[in-house]
Amino acid sequence: MNPIEAEKLTKRFGDTVADDAVTFAVRPGETYGLLGPNGAGKTTLVRMLTTLLRPTSGVARVAGHDVMKARAKVRASIGTVSQAETTDENLTVRENLSVHGKMYGLWGRGLSEIIERRLEQVGLWDRRDQLTRTLSGGMRRRLEIARGVLHSPHILFLDEPTSGLDPQSRRAVWEMLGDLKARDGSLAIVLTTHAMDEANYLCDRVAIMDSGKILCEDAPEALKRGLSTGERVVLETDRPIEGIDRDSILALGAVNWRTPAPASVEFEAQPGEGIGRLAAQLVEERGYRILHLAISPVTLEDVFFAYTGRALRGEN
Amino acid sequence: METAGRAPDVSAESARGVSRGPRLALLGILAICQRAYLTLWRQPVLIVSTMLFPVFYLVVLGNSLNRDLRNVPLAVVDEAGNALAVELRRGVLALETGRALVVAAFPADREEALADLRRGRYRGVWILPHGLSPSGPAPAFIGDNTDRFSYDALETALAEIWREAASPPSARTSESARLEAYPYLDYLTYLGPAVVCLAIFMGSMVAGGLQVIEDRMYGYHEGYLVTPVSTGAIVAGHMLAGSLVASLAGGLVLFVIAFFTPLPMATPEAIGGGLVTVFLTSLAISALWFCLFARARKSSVLRGMFGIINVLVFFPSGALYPVESYPKWLRVVADVNPLTYGMTALRDLLLRGAPVASCYAEWAFLLTFALVCGVLTQVLFRREV
Repeated sequence: MNPIEAEKLTKRFGDTVADDAVTFAVRPGETYGLLGPNGAGKTTLVRMLTTLLRPTSGVARVAGHDVMKARAKVRASIGTVSQAETTDENLTVRENLSVHGKMYGLWGRGLSEIIERRLEQVGLWDRRDQLTRTLSGGMRRRLEIARGVLHSPHILFLDEPTSGLDPQSRRAVWEMLGDLKARDGSLAIVLTTHAMDEANYLCDRVAIMDSGKILCEDAPEALKRGLSTGERVVLETDRPIEGIDRDSILALGAVNWRTPAPASVEFEAQPGEGIGRLAAQLVEERGYRILHLAISPVTLEDVFFAYTGRALRGEN
Repeated sequence: METAGRAPDVSAESARGVSRGPRLALLGILAICQRAYLTLWRQPVLIVSTMLFPVFYLVVLGNSLNRDLRNVPLAVVDEAGNALAVELRRGVLALETGRALVVAAFPADREEALADLRRGRYRGVWILPHGLSPSGPAPAFIGDNTDRFSYDALETALAEIWREAASPPSARTSESARLEAYPYLDYLTYLGPAVVCLAIFMGSMVAGGLQVIEDRMYGYHEGYLVTPVSTGAIVAGHMLAGSLVASLAGGLVLFVIAFFTPLPMATPEAIGGGLVTVFLTSLAISALWFCLFARARKSSVLRGMFGIINVLVFFPSGALYPVESYPKWLRVVADVNPLTYGMTALRDLLLRGAPVASCYAEWAFLLTFALVCGVLTQVLFRREV
C-alpha cells in the first residue's frame, strides 16, 4: 500500500482552480518533493492531504485512509511541519512538545522519553528548558520538525521546511531529515519547496507543479536526463570555429549556437550524452587550440524552467 | 540502535496517536489548558490586564465615584441677622464640622456671592433674607446644578436645617423607623463582586477570545487541527483554558477583597461558594467569548468589538448599579447576561451571607449558558484553515 494515493484531486476557490485533477502516489519510505513556483498549488495540495482543506472533488488516501471520510485516522497517521510556526514562543522547548504529545494521546513517562529522544535527534536537548522565543530561526525550525515527528507518524509533510533559513541552518535541517529517514526506513516524507538544491538533495522523486497541475514527475536525475537541451558548453579557441567544423559540432546534437565573441562559442546539448566533451575532442583534432572550456551540467532549475517557463507569476 | 524513531517503549498504537475516544479527548483538553496556564505566567502584560487592572479599577472607581460628598463649598448670605438666622448658621457650621459635607463661607453681599457661584467658587448660595421667619420669607437656595450630586446633597441638607429650625418641636412628625438588614457596607465593598466579575471578564477575553484568534492568526492552531483530537475536545479545551485563566484572576481578586475590605458575611462556606461561582461564571463568559469569535481571523475584530461587548455584558450586569432600576429593554439584556447571575450569586454569598443553596439557580443558569455556547461554538468552529 502506498502511503499516499491521490486521484484527480481538485480544489477550487470560487473561480480559481488551485489544484486541477492532481493524480500522484508516494511510495513507502520515499521522500517526494512538490516543486513549483508560488501559487502552483503545492500548499493547497498538502492541506488537502493533511485534512486542513476539503477537496472539491477527487479522492485521496493517506496511510490507506480516505481524507474525506476517515479524517481522524488520517490525522493520527501524519505529522506536519507547516510554514506557520506552530510552537508557542512563550513555552520552553520541552513544554511545547509536552503539549503537542498529549494531542496525540501520549502521556506521562512514555511522553517524556519520546521528547528526550526527539530533542536529541534534532540537537535541541541541551536547550530543552529554554524559552522557544529565544531560539534562532534554524533551531526553531528543528523544533517544529521534532514536533512533527514526535508521535512517530507514517508520513511527514513539510511545507517549505527551510524557507528563510541561512545556509548552515538549511544544511542542518537537511541532515536532520536524512537522519530521520535513516532511523525509520518506512517514513515517507512529502515536502514542498521552490529551492532546487533542496529538492535535488532530499528527494527521491520530484513532481514539478504549475497552475495546479503536475507537469512531470520522476527522480531528479531522470528529470535532468530527460531534457533535450540544458547542458551548457562554452568553448574559446585560438580562431573562430566556422564552416564545416561548426556543422560537425551541430551534427553531434548541439543547439542554440551563439558566438558572443569571434573566437568564442556557446551552445547547449542534451544532458548525459557527453556532447560537450565530444565537441572539444573534435575541434582539437581539427587543429584548433582550446583556450577555455566549460561544461555546465544541467540542474533541476533547468528542468524547472523548461517546464514552468520564465515568466513571473501573476504577470503573464 | 533501538531508537528506530518508532518509540519502542510505547506501543505502536499509542505512539502513532491512534488512541481515541475519551482518553484522547481528555488529554487534548489537558494539553490546551496546560499551554494556557504556562503562557499566562510568562506574559506579564496578561497578568496586569487580567488581575491587576480590576483591582486598580476597584480602588480608583470606588474612591472616586459614589463616595459620601465632602468639602462642598457653600456660601451663606445672612441678610436677616435675627435669632432664627443665627440658628440656621449654626446648623450650617454643624454640617461643616460634623459630616464635613460643606466648607462654609459667610459673604455679606448677595451679588458677590452669586457672582462667585457663577465663577465656580461655590456649589451653592443660601440666602437668608430680611425678615426671615417660619411664616414669612424663607431662605433661598441657589445651587450649581451642573454638578447634580453636590446640588442634591446641599439642597437636602439645607432643607433639613430649615425644617428643624422653623417648625416648633411639637409639629415635627416622627420619622419612620429604619433598620439595615446587614452590617454597614460602603460602596467599595458593594463594588467587590463587580470587580471579581471584571477580572473574570478580562481574563476570559484574553484567554478565551484573544488567544484563540491569535493562535489562528499566527498559525499555532494548525498544530491543533492536524491532530486526531476531536473538534469537540478542542472547543472544550479552549473554553476550559479560558475559564481556568479567568478563574485564577477572579479567585485572586476575591481573596484580595476578602483580606483588604470588610466582607462581614464572608464565611469560609461563602468563600467556597464564591469560588464555585467564579469558576462557573468564568466558564460561561469564556464560552461566550469563544462563541462570538469562533470564526474571527484577525485580532482587530476583537479590538473593534471589545467596547461593544464590554458595554453589553459588563455594564448591564448590575455590576455598578442595581439591575432592578434598569429600563425594561435593558433588563432583557441583563436577564440573558451570564455576568448578571455571577454578580447576583457573589453578592448573595459575600455581602448578604446567603446559604450556598440559594445560588443553585444562578449556577444552573451559568452552566446551561456555557453548554449552549459550547455546542454553538462547535457548530461554528472550522476544522479547516
